[in-house]
Amino acid sequence: MSERTLIATMGFDERHVLPALRLLPYDRLVLIAGRDTFRSPGFRRLRSLEPDLQSVRVDPFHFSDCLESIRESVRLALRNGPVRISATGGTKIMTMAAVLVAFQEGVDAWYCDPNPVRLPVLRGVRLAAAFSGAEGSVIRLLRRAMPIELLVPAVIEYGFARRTVLASIHSLAGKGLVEIATRDGRALLRPSPRLALIRAHLGEEPEKA
Amino acid sequence: MTVLFGTLGWRPQSLIPSIRSTEGLERVVFYHSEHAKSRDARGKVMEFCRSLGVAANGVELSDAFDLIQCAFRIREDVRKERISTADIRFNIAGGTRLMSSAALLVCILEGIPATYVHDDTYREIPLPLLRIRYGEALTAKQREVLAFLVKNREKHFSETGLARALGVHKATMNHHLRRLEAAGAVERAKDPADARRLILKPTAGMELLVG
Repeated sequence: MSERTLIATMGFDERHVLPALRLLPYDRLVLIAGRDTFRSPGFRRLRSLEPDLQSVRVDPFHFSDCLESIRESVRLALRNGPVRISATGGTKIMTMAAVLVAFQEGVDAWYCDPNPVRLPVLRGVRLAAAFSGAEGSVIRLLRRAMPIELLVPAVIEYGFARRTVLASIHSLAGKGLVEIATRDGRALLRPSPRLALIRAHLGEEPEKA
Repeated sequence: MTVLFGTLGWRPQSLIPSIRSTEGLERVVFYHSEHAKSRDARGKVMEFCRSLGVAANGVELSDAFDLIQCAFRIREDVRKERISTADIRFNIAGGTRLMSSAALLVCILEGIPATYVHDDTYREIPLPLLRIRYGEALTAKQREVLAFLVKNREKHFSETGLARALGVHKATMNHHLRRLEAAGAVERAKDPADARRLILKPTAGMELLVG
């Protein structure tokens, strides 16, 4: 049976979470919070209201940690049914990580402070959908700078036409994920710093053509 | 040349690292609230920019507590700047939570590189955003339907009426609307004038996606 999950970020004050609990129907509540939150009176009051809540501990001042933990919680919850995120409580970093995950994983996100505002997320549209199969293969093969003349045949091996591979390289450059440079008269393709960040968030192997 | 956008709270340190690290910086545009401490921080950032010979523009957001309005205002400025500037960056570290969230929304929707500055180390942290417009995840026709509904939010269109207004077959319109509904971009509601009739409404915030 499908189970609706509400994932909410929380700081010390449970009052930032309560509007979401009141307005967004759920069967299971997952609370994302820092270590100190779990010792706070606010958390105890919330637990008395929702004894079955599941808590996920994050470093509330570490962006990547928040991002990873919230994404993991979303992916686990999506196996059981629809997911909603309330990004109102906790540190600003937690809020931003929650908003970013909502857009990357295609789940509804709300900001309830105090009036509920639904963020313009397209449900079900994941970050991975922004990449074609050929782009996915280029991302997978490009771990460090390499000559384009070596990379292209390697991607063609996955069943893509040469023209498609070259177009995907230019498309990735347009998205700011790879950089094309020339060294000793050879065209080199190197991953941009942003590609490392995106690669970590794609989370699945690109499909073959 | 690069234009750096930013949100500013009480501490100029949240914005200054990005001003230092941006190559070919032409101008800084930053948003702050009406709070006295935020105005003080604005003065310090302006002074820092002056010392570097970089033009700066501090924009006071009179209602820095309305997420969607805040995002609209920022997006308008970003779009204006995009016409003449090759490169735009955004530092979303400072300001109220709502101001930063609005800036992040604009960066996601418009595909603008964004950074965050760590509170203690003042190190810049790039956010994993793509340089693509989020609305492009919809097809051109879906965007057209959604944009039409957003523009005519006050009017009540049924599925058939909408198909007629946009000059497409109602089966085609049904296909587009089902996709948009599944994505949470539109919803069906009862017509207040005739409870037997269902009308289509864009969900809140969709103006930011297709406006």
